[in-house]
Amino acid sequence: MKNNIRVERAIKNITQGELAELVGVSRQTINAIESNKYVPSTVLALKMARVFGKPLEDIFTLEDND
Amino acid sequence: MKTRFLFPYWCRYLGYTLIIAHVPIALFRKILGFDTPGAAADPGLFNSHHIFFVTTTLAMAIGLFLVAFAKEKIEDEQISQLRLDSLQWAIYLNYILLTVTLILSSDKEHILLLNLWIPLIFFIIRFRWVIFRLNQSLSREG
Repeated sequence: MKNNIRVERAIKNITQGELAELVGVSRQTINAIESNKYVPSTVLALKMARVFGKPLEDIFTLEDND
Repeated sequence: MKTRFLFPYWCRYLGYTLIIAHVPIALFRKILGFDTPGAAADPGLFNSHHIFFVTTTLAMAIGLFLVAFAKEKIEDEQISQLRLDSLQWAIYLNYILLTVTLILSSDKEHILLLNLWIPLIFFIIRFRWVIFRLNQSLSREG
């Protein structure tokens, strides 16, 4: 699964730490999701989508091998 | 996500204190006079050797338990995942070692003690290691 959280963060101009606080996880988790090391749960993904004000599919996309 | 059955964050430090306090007492039991010679041969259940053994073992076990199952500062879903992974590793290793000792050693007390410490200690090491790696990748990113 791919995601463009880094881009969305840049658009909204918030840091990893600020996003982490907004969705109630640690900065490490946001960092791991951005670098595709951790796949977030549906709840966390939806929370992040809400922060960015976009539908889920705009932020997370499936890859061919998924 | 709510994680149940975990101790508060500060319990980790209480656990470390118990473990650290346990080490010198266990090492110097002869000098401190807890373990008098011949006491082990005493058949009574509450001889000094047995009471000392039980208290130190309990102190160590409770300490390890508190360290292993205390909440992280920010307890999120990734931490739960890592905790589960580490627990699986610990159980694997424990059973491998248990099988090996079962074959090689006939000392039942040996096997019991090993089984008492290995899962918790290995779990703590593995869990702290992945968290350390996570923090490292964070500081690399800046």
